[in-house]
Amino acid sequence: MGHAMKLLVVEDENKTADYVRQGLMEAGFVVDLARNGLDGHHLAMGETYDLVVLDVMLPDVDGWRIVRALRDAGKQVPVLFLTARGGVDDRVKGLELGADDYLVKPFAFSELLARVRTLLRRGSAPSQPDRIQVADLVLDLARRRATRAGQRINLTSKEFALLELLARRQGEVLPRSLIASQVWDMNFDSDSNVIDVAIRRLRAKIDDAFNPKLIHTVRGMGYTLDAPDDAPSP
Amino acid sequence: MRPMMPLRHKPRQSRPASLALRVTALVGIATTLVFLVFNWVILRSLEHHFAQQDAHELEAVTTALAQPLHQLASDIASDELKQHLANAVAGHHGMTYGVYDGSGNSIYATPGPDLSKLASSKKLVNRITADDLIVWQEDQRSYRGVVVQLPADDSAASGYRIVAAMDIGFHLDFLAEFKRMLWWATGLVMCLALGVAWLAVQWGHLPIRKVNEEIRAIRSSKLDVRLDPRDVPIELAELVFAFNDMLARIEEGFTRLSHFSADIAHELRTPVTNLVTQTHVALGQPRSNEEYREILYSNLEEFDRMGRMIGDMLFLAQTENDPRNLRLSTIDLSELVRSLFDYFEALAEDSGITLGVKGAIGSIAADREMLTRALNNLLSNAIRHTPRGKSITVLLSQDEQWTTISVVNPGERIPEPDLPKLFNRFYRVDPARQRNTAGAGLGLAIVKSIAEAHGGSVAVTSSELVTRFDLVLPHLRQ
Repeated sequence: MGHAMKLLVVEDENKTADYVRQGLMEAGFVVDLARNGLDGHHLAMGETYDLVVLDVMLPDVDGWRIVRALRDAGKQVPVLFLTARGGVDDRVKGLELGADDYLVKPFAFSELLARVRTLLRRGSAPSQPDRIQVADLVLDLARRRATRAGQRINLTSKEFALLELLARRQGEVLPRSLIASQVWDMNFDSDSNVIDVAIRRLRAKIDDAFNPKLIHTVRGMGYTLDAPDDAPSP
Repeated sequence: MRPMMPLRHKPRQSRPASLALRVTALVGIATTLVFLVFNWVILRSLEHHFAQQDAHELEAVTTALAQPLHQLASDIASDELKQHLANAVAGHHGMTYGVYDGSGNSIYATPGPDLSKLASSKKLVNRITADDLIVWQEDQRSYRGVVVQLPADDSAASGYRIVAAMDIGFHLDFLAEFKRMLWWATGLVMCLALGVAWLAVQWGHLPIRKVNEEIRAIRSSKLDVRLDPRDVPIELAELVFAFNDMLARIEEGFTRLSHFSADIAHELRTPVTNLVTQTHVALGQPRSNEEYREILYSNLEEFDRMGRMIGDMLFLAQTENDPRNLRLSTIDLSELVRSLFDYFEALAEDSGITLGVKGAIGSIAADREMLTRALNNLLSNAIRHTPRGKSITVLLSQDEQWTTISVVNPGERIPEPDLPKLFNRFYRVDPARQRNTAGAGLGLAIVKSIAEAHGGSVAVTSSELVTRFDLVLPHLRQ
């Protein structure tokens, strides 16, 4: 991503709006915030954004109308909508109207960030690399093999899928729920510590015998795979 | 005061007639009908009786007239004949008669109504019965008469016709009077019957009113009240039983709901209190950034747990409020179990537990996300309670009606009284068990609500060797 991505957040609840904006700005995005539907509609139609985060329950112009107006005007900007109701109807309606993804309130910010990044990536270069390198960890996606410092590492297919997810989204904090959903297709919060155990086992294979450590736990949020800048590999 | 549910009004449909009205009307109609039939029978037999009497009298008169006609010579003078005929009939009052020859000419006629028309009537008889009588009116008087044809022989009276008639006004007056009296009686009896029926119905409804009052006295605070079926007539006992059953179900739901609210409050109060205390302490004195971060992390974990619990409760509420909101799809159960094993593989290996599946069955229709969640909860529960080195088995079986998914794990025996409570919300067999390891205690409640949303059920059995959870689902059509 060469330039800073520009996002529009339409959210009428002040506290949520503030922390979403702050979080997104600290994640490196340029953020415009509209605190009501009318401003949101105006900004969305007038400006050019890389992505719109849209609360559907707005007091004046509801989110559905903004999505419809965008699509009617031929704007293909990705839309992530926030819904307070977990109802199936809302999800189906939003996706039918042309929204790209949804999050049910209340949501964890890390979840929102992960989804925003997914949508932005989907919009940009669709190039599928057949090789990902993070420090001295190399993933051969075509042959589904991993090597670290030149040594072949034996991974089960799910372990490879997990490592691939982390590597593709290098530097991003991935919440457990996102990992469960992407790797195992489990789309609900599980109260078991399956993800923690899976990460621990993956760590044992790719990090225990090597330096620097690549998989990091971000307490309370999730996991990330990153090569530390300050500690170059020896 | 609880809000009352509004009665549902169907448009343009009036209320069915009241029971009192129905019973009273029925009694009234029945009484009237019975009396009408009774009246008819009485009047008919009276009339018949009178006709019979008249027939006898007319017969006597005609016989008395025929006698002299046969015995007299054919050349008798007409005056003498008339005299004979006039004397032949004595002791019969109100009687009119006449004799006519074969061609209808009057030989003799007493004063009174004109009988000549009768003489030419075709209705001739030899023997008189009540049915042969002819009734007619003349000068506002009613008569009953008969025509007798004498046999054709060699006597002077050969082919003669005797006509006799009598005034039946007296009989008719009597009948009319009798009829009027019967109508009055009928009306009176009907009114009486209606009144008695009305009273009987009101009296009969007394137990209903009593039951009604008892029901009205029931408040949400005393749902344990039951109506005594021995206090009501046998016809109402069934209703009382049904009402008691309904009350029991309401009580159960109400108790569960109030426990649930209390549990929610309790479950949320503990972490909130912790958070508040922790924050107070943290703000009590200046700390290093590292310490603040540590506190925020710790808070985050607590918030996360609360958030998950609220999410689970919301899921339960939604599933139970709208249990038919399923998105059914065809699911290959063996494949679903395999993918869940995939998911739990690392955790199970870590705990030294092996996972196995037995039984192969066809696809079923179910809500994939819900079913996955239910099986996830059952498996994660089983893993939590299985000792190291043992194995968990998922058994799949199917008959014409049901598909059963059983999760069997070796482990400590669960005491019998605890078994049914396992599926209650927030229930934990060991109260001292840490909240952290056992989750919010909603996992099995969610399994139950998912099973019930599909029209199925859950069950659990526990022996010294194994604990077994059954998830039973009906065959649904997509």
